[in-house]
Amino acid sequence: MIKDIPFLIVVFCIVLAIQIFGLSYAAVLNVTPDVTTIFLALVGVTISQRASASFGFIAGAILGIFSESSGMLIGWIMLAKTVEGFLAGYFNVPENSHATAKQKTKRIYIAIIFAGFASSAIIAAVYNPLGFPPAIGIAAFGLLKSALTLVLAFIINLLFLKKILLD
Amino acid sequence: MFNTENDKFRRYTAFINRYSTYLLFLLYCSISVLFIKLQNRETLDAIRTGAIEFSSFLSEKVTDIGEIFNVQNENERLLAVNATLLSKIMKQDAEIADEKSRYKLVADTTINASRFIIAKVVGRKFSDRENMLIINVGNERGIKQNMTVFTPSGLVGRVVFVSEHYSKVMPLIHHEFKVIVESDKSNSMGILSWSGGREDIAEVEHIPISTSLKINERMLTSDFSTFSVRGIPVGRVISMKPDKLFYRVEVQLAVDYSTLSYVLIAPLKAEHEKTGLLKTSSVPSNENEIQ
Repeated sequence: MIKDIPFLIVVFCIVLAIQIFGLSYAAVLNVTPDVTTIFLALVGVTISQRASASFGFIAGAILGIFSESSGMLIGWIMLAKTVEGFLAGYFNVPENSHATAKQKTKRIYIAIIFAGFASSAIIAAVYNPLGFPPAIGIAAFGLLKSALTLVLAFIINLLFLKKILLD
Repeated sequence: MFNTENDKFRRYTAFINRYSTYLLFLLYCSISVLFIKLQNRETLDAIRTGAIEFSSFLSEKVTDIGEIFNVQNENERLLAVNATLLSKIMKQDAEIADEKSRYKLVADTTINASRFIIAKVVGRKFSDRENMLIINVGNERGIKQNMTVFTPSGLVGRVVFVSEHYSKVMPLIHHEFKVIVESDKSNSMGILSWSGGREDIAEVEHIPISTSLKINERMLTSDFSTFSVRGIPVGRVISMKPDKLFYRVEVQLAVDYSTLSYVLIAPLKAEHEKTGLLKTSSVPSNENEIQ
């Protein structure tokens, strides 16, 4: 099901809509979990690095355009998301590997932590959302964002991801 | 030579195939960097402005959808507010109407209301024969049995039962009520009573054929009455039918019972001696008839 392109595009649109309009309520210290990171990790792990980088690039462009607070950062968000998708692709599980759903889930979590942290670090380096000194700001924003995204990923895993990965 | 070019093409293709992911990544990064460089340009600003407007429009629509779900709650809240306001307005209207009626009663210059007690009609029971009024004054305000109840328009009735805070009034339109009346011009006397039917018509009995009473003459309470003060209007003569010895006189009553809201209560007449004499008279008399 995950490799069905129309389905993937529909999910991608929903994910972007949720990220743009729906996640501001879940903010902690003005940092929101990133549902696009989960999507890119899923694509990177289950499909390919090329696909996750491409989706990351498009997601970055759209999020950059629609992001009111960081509208000036459109290029940086594109870069961050492209890097995120590209890094997530390193955790790709080849189709013929016969990996179990549990193993794939584990890889998705790891991809979320690494790719999410890298992406957040790029954003934090540019506009320092937490207002800390640069190095601490990058680390704190990266960790907080990854942690929140990971929590969201656990919830999504419980609700949908297991079924998708088993299919 | 042809083979060499072909080999080169194959090598390029193989290179691109092998490193396509990295090349794509580089392309994306280059575009991103280009956007970073262009981020202050007008075109990008226009795109951003348009996107923000679109995003705001969508947000507004999403909020509107949320509001639709809240409409029912909002309606219920407004209904509750309306009910509260309506109840306040009704209460105020009633108080204004009461005050107007009170003022009308007190401001009437034909009577001196200061020596009378003002009361509000708080209950009424009207049927073909058994009519009764309840007023909101009782023992605590000095109300006693047989006190006269009236308005500036005319006689209403008399107090027949008194409790601490309320009194029961037998109105003129009660089949047991009788009062001695006299006409204002010819001084013809008779006993006024009501025998049911229309609540605005009563009959006066015992007016002799020889009387000079005329149609349209006013009938007032007489000093002969044991409970009523003299001179309270009762009604106007509308018809006179001669019988063997007396006229059967019909009187249009002065008081409109359907709109009665405030009344005056006159102090009791101190005529116990007269009443006592009437009771002990050697000639038997019907008490009801001389009230």
